[in-house]
Amino acid sequence: MLTISNLHASVDSKSILNGINLSIKSGEIHAIMGKNGSGKSTLANLITGREGYEIIKGDILFNGESISEWSPEKRALEGIFMSFQYPVVIPGVNNTYFLKAALNAKLKNNGEKELNAADFLKLIKTKLAEMDMDSKYLQRAVNEGFSGGEKKRNEILQMITLEPRLSVLDETDSGLDIDALKIVANGVNKYRNSERCFLIITHYQRLLKYIEPDFVHVLIDGQIVKSGGKDLALELEEKGYSWLEV
Amino acid sequence: MNITHFQTEFDKIHTLDHFIDTIHLKRKEAFSKFLDKGLPTKNWEDWRFTNLSAISKGEFNVPETIDELESSLQIEPYKIENVNTIVVYNGHFQKTLSEIPNEVKVLNNLDYINLKSSVIQIEEDSPFDLLNTAFFNGGVSLIIDPGKIIKTAIRILFIANSEESIMTNPRVYLDVGNDSNVTFVEHHVGNAVSHFQNTSILLSLGSNSSLDHIRIQSNSYSTQSIANLHIYQESDSHYNFTQFASGSGLGRTNAYVHLNGEGSNCKLNSLSLSDEKQHLDNHIIIDHKVPHCTSSQLFKSVLREKSSGVFNGRTIVRENAQKTDAKQSNKNLLLSKESLMNSNPQLEIHADDVRCSHGSTTGELDNDALFYLRSRGIDVATAKSILVKGFVAECFAMIKDENIKLFLIDYFDNWLNRKKIYDY
Repeated sequence: MLTISNLHASVDSKSILNGINLSIKSGEIHAIMGKNGSGKSTLANLITGREGYEIIKGDILFNGESISEWSPEKRALEGIFMSFQYPVVIPGVNNTYFLKAALNAKLKNNGEKELNAADFLKLIKTKLAEMDMDSKYLQRAVNEGFSGGEKKRNEILQMITLEPRLSVLDETDSGLDIDALKIVANGVNKYRNSERCFLIITHYQRLLKYIEPDFVHVLIDGQIVKSGGKDLALELEEKGYSWLEV
Repeated sequence: MNITHFQTEFDKIHTLDHFIDTIHLKRKEAFSKFLDKGLPTKNWEDWRFTNLSAISKGEFNVPETIDELESSLQIEPYKIENVNTIVVYNGHFQKTLSEIPNEVKVLNNLDYINLKSSVIQIEEDSPFDLLNTAFFNGGVSLIIDPGKIIKTAIRILFIANSEESIMTNPRVYLDVGNDSNVTFVEHHVGNAVSHFQNTSILLSLGSNSSLDHIRIQSNSYSTQSIANLHIYQESDSHYNFTQFASGSGLGRTNAYVHLNGEGSNCKLNSLSLSDEKQHLDNHIIIDHKVPHCTSSQLFKSVLREKSSGVFNGRTIVRENAQKTDAKQSNKNLLLSKESLMNSNPQLEIHADDVRCSHGSTTGELDNDALFYLRSRGIDVATAKSILVKGFVAECFAMIKDENIKLFLIDYFDNWLNRKKIYDY
């Protein structure tokens, strides 16, 4: 579903990614692990189309098509989703309004019937229950006054509502206590199926205890220096990253 | 408008019947003080960022008095559900077109002044109030007796329409009696070719009374509007002001709130929406004269194209006004590179046991928020419009009357959608 080939990219003329190759198929969960500054978030931003990142060489293909010229909204509508490391607070815009606009944009793009307020409410209530979230959420402004855990839960709520095919989870475990971590992981696991794939970006092995990856890749200085199965994460937890550094 | 022309117009109104002797001296005094001061210039501290050339270079005539218009005047386009409307056309009260609620006394200004004797104050420092005193006509005054809870909002609809260049000086007195409660809407509309509107609104709140004042400035860009508001609050009174300004080429609101009675509080919320070359300006003074009063100001502006704006808010806490709680906030959203905002929140505190805060922010739409929305599949234009709506949302919060709130949300949406100016 996602193919990244020989990707070189820079931010403010500083090269960050130096030849990434990665292929994620339907149904797979890949984890990318690495230290701060290794290029993990840059990779996530390049997949979702944030401004300010320049591809120097190589390409990102989604279902065989290059997405490098696609706008962020086009990527989202085609099925790419990112759970943000730092979800943005948007005062004055309530969650219901925001999420309904997002879902209807997607339905419209798919040629499906948009949901009216009542139908949306019905749907979102079942999703809220899945994430163990209070329905007061609907009246609140997007991420305003949310704790770290609530923000991350909100990201996963959006994911299970918008039903993307590729979900990039950027440091979703950071700032989560163990209960919130379990809820978030549970949300992801329930959502997991053979049609969908995940790219989990993380510092620590913690989240991977609850969401088992099929593949683990280690990113150092903008390159994948090692790939392996889920055991690689445990090995990293034990030994750190230094044994892989040149 | 040069001084000679003001003089010509002043001489003209002398001949009109409704300018009776009792206030004639006051008018003359005000006019002569106005002549001494002249129109403000950019050398005046409070007028540094306000370009008055549209007024100083224009030639405006006092329109003919028409107190009984034929029914041709259309007020339907300005309809707000379940509101009693009093119509003022080119500065003249239109009795036959007005719905006057039973509980409210509606007088013309002269009768009001006779009733209250010596009510005309000469605002030495305010040339536009002096001008209003010199020129105001029969106008309309409202008295709400003590103990009246008025459920239906009262709106004064100011309509201006003329093929020639006109000057109007509407004046409104509104007295809210002790323990009374009312919503007053001041709604400015119209399409005069060229209009200099100089309004003085004088609001008195009796003890324990409550006044919700909603000001809607949606007149044409060919209007130069100066709104002078004077609010006098007795003890334990509540004044809630909400302003929506998107009209007028030049629009300036000068509000002076006198917190005269202990325990009184005022909240002023305002949203200015400007585009083209509009200039919308708010100069606010909240004067805490006595202890235990609270005030809050939330002034927001959204600016498009080459428009500009000013917020100048001054909260004065007098020496004996202990236990004052005053908040002041100004937030501005610039939607174009060419737009310009001047913000100047000020606190002037002479007492020591008070709680005061102020703040001001001016910026563009938040790029991170924009990306967040787009990353969920929402297109750029919609995402920007969602963010602007989010920015203004709290401005509607204070309006309790649902019909008025719906009208204003609609009014805002129209403004937002009327142009596609989002490329910056």
